[in-house]
Amino acid sequence: MTAAPVELSIDGVRVSVPAGTTVFDAARLHGIAIPTLCHQQNEVPVGVCRVCVVDVKERVYAPACTRAVRAGMEVTTNSERVQAARRTLIELLLSDHPVPCARQQQSGDCELEALARAMSLSQPRFARRTSGRAKDNSSLAIAVDFDACILCDRCVRGCNEIRGNLVLGRMGKGTQAGIAFDDNKPMGTSTCVSCGECMVSCPTGALTNKRVLGTTLGAGHPVEAERLLELPVFKNVSGTFLELNRGAIVERTFRRGEVVCREGEFGSTAFYILDGKAQVSIGSPIAHVKTQGGATGWFSKLTSRLAGRAEDQREEEASQKFIPIDAPVDLAYENPVAELGPGDLFGEMTCLSFYPRSATVRALTDCRMFEMLRNVLDILQKNKNFKTQLERTYRQRALASHLRGVPIFASLTDEFIEGLRDRVELVRYSPGQVICRQGDPADSFYLVRIGFVKVSEFYPGGELVLAYLSRGNYFGEIGLLGGGVRTATCTALDHVEVVRINGEDFERMVQQFPAVRESLEVVARERRQQNLERQLIVRSVPLDHFLSQGLMEAQSLLILDLQKCTRCDACVRACADAHDGITRLVREGLRFEKYLVATSCRQCRDPLCMVGCPVGSIRRRNSLEVIIEDWCIGCGLCAKNCPYGNINLHPFTVQVDDPLAPGRKTAAVQRKATSCDLCTEHKEPSCVYACPHDAAHRVEPQRFFADLLGGRK
Amino acid sequence: MRIDATHRKWLFASLGIVGAATIAHLADALISAQAPRGGSVLGLTFGIVGSAFMLFAGLLGARNRVPVWRLGRAQTWMRGHLWLGLLSLPLILFHGGFQFGGTLTTILMWLLLLVVASGILGAVLQHYLPNRMTGDVPMETIFDEIDGVRAQLIREADQLVAATCGTLDATADNPAAPAPVAPGEAFDAVLLNPEEGLPLRRFYVNELRPFLKRPLERHVALTDPGRAAAAFEELRKLLPSSAHSTLNDLENICEEERQLLRQVRLHHFLHGWLLVHVPLSLALLVLGAVHAWMALRY
Repeated sequence: MTAAPVELSIDGVRVSVPAGTTVFDAARLHGIAIPTLCHQQNEVPVGVCRVCVVDVKERVYAPACTRAVRAGMEVTTNSERVQAARRTLIELLLSDHPVPCARQQQSGDCELEALARAMSLSQPRFARRTSGRAKDNSSLAIAVDFDACILCDRCVRGCNEIRGNLVLGRMGKGTQAGIAFDDNKPMGTSTCVSCGECMVSCPTGALTNKRVLGTTLGAGHPVEAERLLELPVFKNVSGTFLELNRGAIVERTFRRGEVVCREGEFGSTAFYILDGKAQVSIGSPIAHVKTQGGATGWFSKLTSRLAGRAEDQREEEASQKFIPIDAPVDLAYENPVAELGPGDLFGEMTCLSFYPRSATVRALTDCRMFEMLRNVLDILQKNKNFKTQLERTYRQRALASHLRGVPIFASLTDEFIEGLRDRVELVRYSPGQVICRQGDPADSFYLVRIGFVKVSEFYPGGELVLAYLSRGNYFGEIGLLGGGVRTATCTALDHVEVVRINGEDFERMVQQFPAVRESLEVVARERRQQNLERQLIVRSVPLDHFLSQGLMEAQSLLILDLQKCTRCDACVRACADAHDGITRLVREGLRFEKYLVATSCRQCRDPLCMVGCPVGSIRRRNSLEVIIEDWCIGCGLCAKNCPYGNINLHPFTVQVDDPLAPGRKTAAVQRKATSCDLCTEHKEPSCVYACPHDAAHRVEPQRFFADLLGGRK
Repeated sequence: MRIDATHRKWLFASLGIVGAATIAHLADALISAQAPRGGSVLGLTFGIVGSAFMLFAGLLGARNRVPVWRLGRAQTWMRGHLWLGLLSLPLILFHGGFQFGGTLTTILMWLLLLVVASGILGAVLQHYLPNRMTGDVPMETIFDEIDGVRAQLIREADQLVAATCGTLDATADNPAAPAPVAPGEAFDAVLLNPEEGLPLRRFYVNELRPFLKRPLERHVALTDPGRAAAAFEELRKLLPSSAHSTLNDLENICEEERQLLRQVRLHHFLHGWLLVHVPLSLALLVLGAVHAWMALRY
């Protein structure tokens, strides 16, 4: 049944429209444009901007977008007084809006600024807001500039009415009013799924598309948004958003044998396999740099060379079975090669956090893949369909090897893992987001799947980092096995994904597998003991003093007594002599009174070098000594990350597959990261041993400086 | 090497050896009908032990060439070098009966005296100068890196001055003339106009840059901290306050250059004496071996 027509006049023109039509629509239907900001045809009108005010011969002007027509209504849309009212409204909005805003700069189509230009308004008469309302850059896909927001609510309606996501809302009153994600969380950590609807709804630069590095992918064929939307994994993604990001996702074809990406290379993209198979492998020799005596006794000469696990196995490595990489599979230690197939996504850490590639991927058959930048990956990861598919793949293919890759879980039975398969939860965290907080009740056990987690404790003097955990590491067991309270705060350092096992399943696991419980208790006891020792040290020395110089973080320092040191550099020469001419110390660094803390590995308690290793090959031994594992791919990120310049890259000539002649080997230079090994072959480090002036000493800094400061009192 | 309480054992052992040798020498002089001489049993003993001490002291250089060989800690070798090298002097004097003898032995005695004297000088320098270096050169760098640091200082100073009063053309005859801006060296904003910046430009081109380029030319006024401070103070009066931050930075660069000069000077003192000590020691060992061979042969 159609509504009865209503007759009215708009700007002197007699028009007839169905009852219930708004004045705005009635005018539009008859070719009369009424300017507006808050109104969009696909959203329920709310009349908050009042720019569409018209004169309907009443006491006050009415917003055309919400006022329904009535019979005999006389509407004036463009009189001088109406225009003056609109001008004032635009000036008021403009006084609270940066000119030009991000959208105006990007595409020149900020609707508010366009209206201002049309009214020949350049500078509003009203004073501008003196304090800004901040920006939110936490989302990878969308930039939020609260200063540019005019509170039109188009984004809120887009999110809630059109998409039904219920993420965006309004909060605050008066000058504090604004849009908010969830309960005022940063957009990146909210439940926003990056559908892009808010951004395409926004009339100004408050919500704009974030172009990654301002670039588009060069290689491959750009994929049309329509085609992407036909694929199940892109279902529910905003077509406009994909259109805006055209060039940020391309389709690439790789012929059989062609290399997709190489280990150690820096990149910014992830790959999604559409069809075909690819092989993922580590090509670097699985060996670590070993410095040892070439002869025995007095005339022993140290040399550095590569030694594999078969030859030189560190005691705690026997149970290491998998090498973690940036892909849905782990590589077997003994044979680091695996296969990837359609539906697999790899390169997430490289794409999201710009870590080097962790492995070499080569097409096993002719392959088609999507290569994407981080904004597209972010949208995909937040897309429910894609997320479900990824989780299913992970549960089916990687959960078992991931759990068994942790030595203490090696004894879990297939049956138990099968039971766990559908119960574990994959949870993502954004950089800086707290996963669990010191003092909170312990309810889950976590296994790191992607990214790095910082474990820290808070003291009156500041925060003390206990560890950085990467893929394959776990946390949360102390709270579950102990008093049920978290003993440390765990924070996502970058884009982190963890496998969460809830407390009940954890309890079932430790009851069913006593060996797992025993191993976990040993680890928990060791961690508690280490924490206790740190607390004692923290209490015994003035923390802020040491924190300021980073000395508190060190476990072992090479100290040179500058009152004794004649600057002969015998220490440096000895170090170089002991390590094939590549010194691992530099006689320069910060000074603490008469002592020089030389540039040499400090075995830090907060080992920043470990953050970002794409294959997790740099780690602590149980003695807290920092070592580099056999599967180091020589990317050099740890050397870059070390704030003290204490990690070097040692080149070695090795035989590798000849890319030009399959089946043949060729000599190539491979690098392996090295740090001071304290010349463990000998009783004393070479630098200390070779100092003729009794100036060089390896010391435990807390005790050394505590004695130094204590002795002065 | 710093001579401190950790040397006590070596000191007492050395005093014991010298005391015993003195008693033996005096007893020999009193008992023997002849004056003490190198050819006697005791004289030969003094000669052999003294030579062995010298040889051990001389081996330090060889030991330092193989720093990672586990031949004993380098500091133990250094202590031995110091004390046994010093002991060799009284032993050799006892060996020669305080006589310099013929030409070769006279040369040997003088060489020994010079080697020991230069060694003592070196020990004294190495005792005091590291402390001085630590105190006087807080911006100390690695000696081999000094040229690189100097080049960096000049680059920084050039950039500072260019940012303040326009791009420099230090080779131009007229330092006040505005120079063309080279690609990639343009600065967003020059702080002073040409007239305002003239005193700084003149000072930099005529004094500071030559000092940074050739700091060893002693006539340069900026080597003296007092005169340098006065020069910068004068400039502060001539330049607007907006340029004072640049002046502070330039003054710091000037101070760092002076510290590098001090480091070079102290480094030469610390290690320069080796230029005398090492060749003379080598000559002493070689001629000592000739003397031993001749004495035993003939």
